[in-house]
Amino acid sequence: MQNAKDSFYIALRTRLTEINPQRTILVRGTVRPGILVEEAEAPFSQFPSDVFVLRWLCLAVDMNLDSTMTGEQGEIVYQTCGTQSFGGLDRGRALSAMDEELMAMIQPFYTPKLNYAATPPAAMLTQVFWDEPVFSPSVAQRDLLSRSATVLVYSYQEQGE
Amino acid sequence: MTATWFSAPAPVARRVRAFFAPVNRVAQTPVLFDPSEQGRFSLDAPPAPWISLGWVQDFVRKTSSKSVPLMTGIPAAPLEQVRETLEAQVSLQFLSWTKLTMGLATGSQHMNILAPAIGAAPAADGAQALPAVTPQSGSTSTSIMLALTDAAKFTPGAIVAVDVDYTGQTGYVGTPVAGAYVRQALTDVDYVRRVTFNVALVSQVTATGLTLSEPLPGGAPATGAKVQTVAGFVDREGGSFYQEWSGLFVLEASQGERIFFHYPRLQAITGAEETISPLNPKNQSGHSRVLLKGQFLALPVTDPLDGERVVCYRSFLPAANALV
Repeated sequence: MQNAKDSFYIALRTRLTEINPQRTILVRGTVRPGILVEEAEAPFSQFPSDVFVLRWLCLAVDMNLDSTMTGEQGEIVYQTCGTQSFGGLDRGRALSAMDEELMAMIQPFYTPKLNYAATPPAAMLTQVFWDEPVFSPSVAQRDLLSRSATVLVYSYQEQGE
Repeated sequence: MTATWFSAPAPVARRVRAFFAPVNRVAQTPVLFDPSEQGRFSLDAPPAPWISLGWVQDFVRKTSSKSVPLMTGIPAAPLEQVRETLEAQVSLQFLSWTKLTMGLATGSQHMNILAPAIGAAPAADGAQALPAVTPQSGSTSTSIMLALTDAAKFTPGAIVAVDVDYTGQTGYVGTPVAGAYVRQALTDVDYVRRVTFNVALVSQVTATGLTLSEPLPGGAPATGAKVQTVAGFVDREGGSFYQEWSGLFVLEASQGERIFFHYPRLQAITGAEETISPLNPKNQSGHSRVLLKGQFLALPVTDPLDGERVVCYRSFLPAANALV
């Protein structure tokens, strides 16, 4: 399952660098594409703004198949205050821009499954695939606008997983 | 060399892609799809002459073929089975309204409403049309060369129909798709352009002609072809003509496997019909999407491989490294 989670995250991260290379974040002294996995970073008291944070929620398994199928619910959370140059008055536009980037990142709805524990990453035999995202209503908290989208990510367990 | 493998469960697919190709009605030749040579084609760029009609929904195929047992003995018991009837139907909903989807989803001729001549008497299929203009040499499938005065008659964003004048011919008419069957001579010189599928959108008008936003289905204008502006489309409930197309439906599953349903001959079996689909299922009285509904009868072809009569080929290309 970890390989599927890693593959989904790397697919989104790679696509984001093509869609909007300016969306970055400085983490532990390194500039990275602006999408993080919550469980793979130090705990933060408040989500960083203007980046996407992927968190993993539910897990479902169907073992009545030739290959066990897993479905993991990923939630992608993002928020923004807009830009300083517009005094935050553009926060709605900034959130819309992130909505559009997420819609673009999520397509196509599949990616090859790779084992990122190996160096270099090893290609596996199956593909990870997912449904259309379900967007939540935006939430306004003072000057902060946030939204989340949930995606069900499916994969087949392979030998050795 | 060695390969590893996995056990692939039943394919998981999101939607169905539909492709259609015109049957040559005069020669009674359908378009064949070869999964061995064409099976891995890009779904966004199908091999000619297949035309992509995009995603479809509520795709249902139903066999109506009947087998009956041959009973012998006392008491009678089945000796073997024989196929009594061979029939299959396909139904689907198109997610767009285009010339082709409308043509496929109607049971009869599908006509272009030609821009009317000034002062022409009203007619249900469109009034007498403005005179057609003749393309110049050098025209291609995406560029129609015209005289300066003729080019001035068109505007960017217009739809044009390109086909020959009607000069009394009978039989199937229309290029490259037979748009109608003329049983007795007519009087409308524009009739072929009224039923032709050779239409396209004009993206640019210059002093030398028209640039089209997409290639004409029939390729470069044929000798004798003329150009007319199309205001819209019209079809009728009734009539004696049946559209006939070759159909190819593709499900691309999650692991890259593909399922093809290839119907060499499909004829529409219902009149024009729409399905209303609310955009918000919780608000049935809100905005609704109007979908074209297509329902087709599969007609048989004789497979040259063994002489069997069949109506459909189902092909499956497994995922890479999947056990079979």
